[in-house]
Amino acid sequence: MTRFTRLALAGALALGLAAPVPSSAQADKNVLVWGDTLPAGLDPHAIFDVPMQFILLNMYDTLYRYSGNPPVLQPWLASGHNVSEDGLTWTFKLVPGVKFHDGSPMTASDVVYSFRRLLGMKRGPAGAFLPVLKPENVTAPDAETVRFVLDKPYAPFLAAIPLVAIVSQKQLEANVKDNDFGSAWLSANGAGSGAYRLDPASYRPREALDLIRNKDHFKGWSDNPKPIDLVRSRPVAETSTRVLALMRGEIDATDSYLPTDQVERVEKNARTRVARDESMRIFIIRMNNKKPPFDNANARKCFAQAFNYEGFNQVILKGYVDRNPGPNPRNLWGNPPNLAGYKYDLAAAKASCDKAKAEGAKLDRELEIHIQSELEQTSQAAQMFQADLQKVGIKMKIVPSTWAQITSATGKPETSPDLWIHWVSTYFVDPENWIGQMYDSQFFGTWKASSYYSNSAVDELLRKARSTSTQAERDKLYQDATTRVVADSPDIWVYNTIQLRGLNKRVQGYKFSPVGGGGDLRWMSLSE
Amino acid sequence: MLLFLIRRLLLAIPALFGLMVLTFVLVRVVPADPAATLAGETASRQQIEEIRKKYGFDRPLYEQFGIYVGQVVSGDLGNSVFSNRPVAADVRRTLPATIELIFSALLLATLLGIPLGTLAAVRHNGVLDHTVRIATVGGLAVASFWFAIMLQLLFSMELEWLPLRGRIGVNIGAPANVTGFFLIDSLLAGRWDQFVSSLRHIALPAITLAVPALATIARFARAGVLDTLQRDFVQYETAVGYPHRRIVWIYVLRNSVIAAVTQIGLLFGALVSSAVAVEAIFDWPGLGSYAVQAILASDYKAVLAVTLVVGVIYALINILVDLVHGLLDPRVAEQL
Repeated sequence: MTRFTRLALAGALALGLAAPVPSSAQADKNVLVWGDTLPAGLDPHAIFDVPMQFILLNMYDTLYRYSGNPPVLQPWLASGHNVSEDGLTWTFKLVPGVKFHDGSPMTASDVVYSFRRLLGMKRGPAGAFLPVLKPENVTAPDAETVRFVLDKPYAPFLAAIPLVAIVSQKQLEANVKDNDFGSAWLSANGAGSGAYRLDPASYRPREALDLIRNKDHFKGWSDNPKPIDLVRSRPVAETSTRVLALMRGEIDATDSYLPTDQVERVEKNARTRVARDESMRIFIIRMNNKKPPFDNANARKCFAQAFNYEGFNQVILKGYVDRNPGPNPRNLWGNPPNLAGYKYDLAAAKASCDKAKAEGAKLDRELEIHIQSELEQTSQAAQMFQADLQKVGIKMKIVPSTWAQITSATGKPETSPDLWIHWVSTYFVDPENWIGQMYDSQFFGTWKASSYYSNSAVDELLRKARSTSTQAERDKLYQDATTRVVADSPDIWVYNTIQLRGLNKRVQGYKFSPVGGGGDLRWMSLSE
Repeated sequence: MLLFLIRRLLLAIPALFGLMVLTFVLVRVVPADPAATLAGETASRQQIEEIRKKYGFDRPLYEQFGIYVGQVVSGDLGNSVFSNRPVAADVRRTLPATIELIFSALLLATLLGIPLGTLAAVRHNGVLDHTVRIATVGGLAVASFWFAIMLQLLFSMELEWLPLRGRIGVNIGAPANVTGFFLIDSLLAGRWDQFVSSLRHIALPAITLAVPALATIARFARAGVLDTLQRDFVQYETAVGYPHRRIVWIYVLRNSVIAAVTQIGLLFGALVSSAVAVEAIFDWPGLGSYAVQAILASDYKAVLAVTLVVGVIYALINILVDLVHGLLDPRVAEQL
């Protein structure tokens, strides 16, 4: 043996290379390793995004809660509710005997505190309530009753209730510093009553978080005979690493946005599978309706007819999405039956462009489409669109951007780009979340209404739907509004997402809901 | 030497102030509104404007900068506008991971690069020399993200020798925090399992980072040794019968590595930027990953803090390189 060989062997032994390394997840059969993204902090009243749903669903409880697909709203901390005839007063009765993780009882006072805290901080999901609810109008007539008095009738109020985590007033008030509502403390701690409680010692922001099963959860565990006692959340940032980690067994679940080109790979692996579930998340190419040439309806139609829906959905995304012809997810109520939407037809696009030009629309300047650089699909869609537009004589430049930059730029029509791409996810399950907040001109300045589409008839229909209490009537109003919006073609609606989550086959009881994306741990177990 | 040190430290202050001005302006002219990010996705325009006022984003830029400089001078890097955590705490948590990774890579690159460069020079135009030259060109040319994935596929997926990602085994847990360096903290805690796990986890990212650095160091060491071998004192020492190994590995090497040491200092800066990609691929929870998240979220206080901290480290490393120069070459020490 030469000196070099001896040295190399010694190095190998020092690193422990001689023995294969068991994968982390396999090393402990009772621990689930969850590889999905964690939010930037843990305060559910400060941050409201898709990763926060995992914290909200597992560490906290809400008055009502969504489950299943399509999602059904069911009483959770509340045993039920009633609404006054004028639609202004909502009264919720609480389930008795609920306890927070610190052992203290949950009362109506905690619910009032939670809503007032949210409305006072004006962050996260507060935007869904601020236009109709004042903090002082959330009250507790007794220890088991909570009353909300709205400023004006707001039919989606109940649909938005699951956005608000109920936190322990006692724990929060003990940790307030500089009038911060205890937010600095709650960003790294838990103050809920959910099915899982945080192990604070394990928490490293966006890197690691351990959840321990709350055996005393008020719903009990009779519906899951073998719940998971310990869940280690270990987000994996890079897609390629995430997929490899799943295949190797280092993690048990990826996020639910598995790239379509990885699906086959994961399914071929003996250890893993892909859960496919239709969600409510629309992929949209937005157009600035206040800026020429998009202030011309025929110009907008030209663009809608020049996008190759089939090519993008079926070829680039391999059919792992569903064509969505309008602004609402196709699996939600409020859509007109047989809504066809626009079809890829370059001849028709050219004809629409010619009409627009005849009406004075200037289509000869180079237009800009802003994509989210870190999200590959936005770039793929833009490149395909660019090539097709060139065929009808339109030049389009692709500008790399980020979500933060896009939402800032679209705050005003003057600073908004010509076109930009994003998704609209399920914040709450109601057409108000999509068409209501996207095409009512009162929402101008928010990212959802960033195409600055304005139609007084549509405004009227959407406002009426918002204040009408029966779903059957609201359904008709939304159908009418959708037909008008689609005819005006303010944006290009491409697909409704099928969420793809890579899972280790040992994970059982995985239940998907568009709210939370399948991150509800209380149903899951691990097979031997 | 002490005067030199004080002078260099004082000179670093305006450089760091310039860096702060530049970064502040760059971060704030980027069209991303921190108030909109802070208000969240369901926020109305009115809500965003209220947040803008509350957090002072409506004040003139110079005023905001003045407040920020005041905070930094008093040792406060501010709170993240996104998570509401103190940025200093996030930097304290993530910086040791990056430093540990970069130092491991530099150590590996130096320990292999200098002997390889020296051997190549001693066997000038031989097979080993040609091999080293080709390998070092390859090492400099290879894209780190591609090389990282290749290492993952070979050592983690195919051979199953090393872990794919992370800093320590999921079920082992981090060692008690003393220095923040897992390799040192695990030894201090007497936890051999944690040490071995940390070593296995750092192996692939450190190798990925080390390869281009190794190539640079080897090339500079080779050039330095080749130059020194032509000097009179080498011929004299050979003539008087000094053992060849002693001449090469002690006298020649000491006179040849000065350029390589300078390169090691410069490489530190290059490795900090390379670490961003390597940390992302290996899921290494360091400052690079933190910076990427901060940039994507428009968390401008976090971005400023990362830039400032990296600037301070870079300045300190440069001073350190000058000091090492002096130790290696007394002529340089006299000029300090």
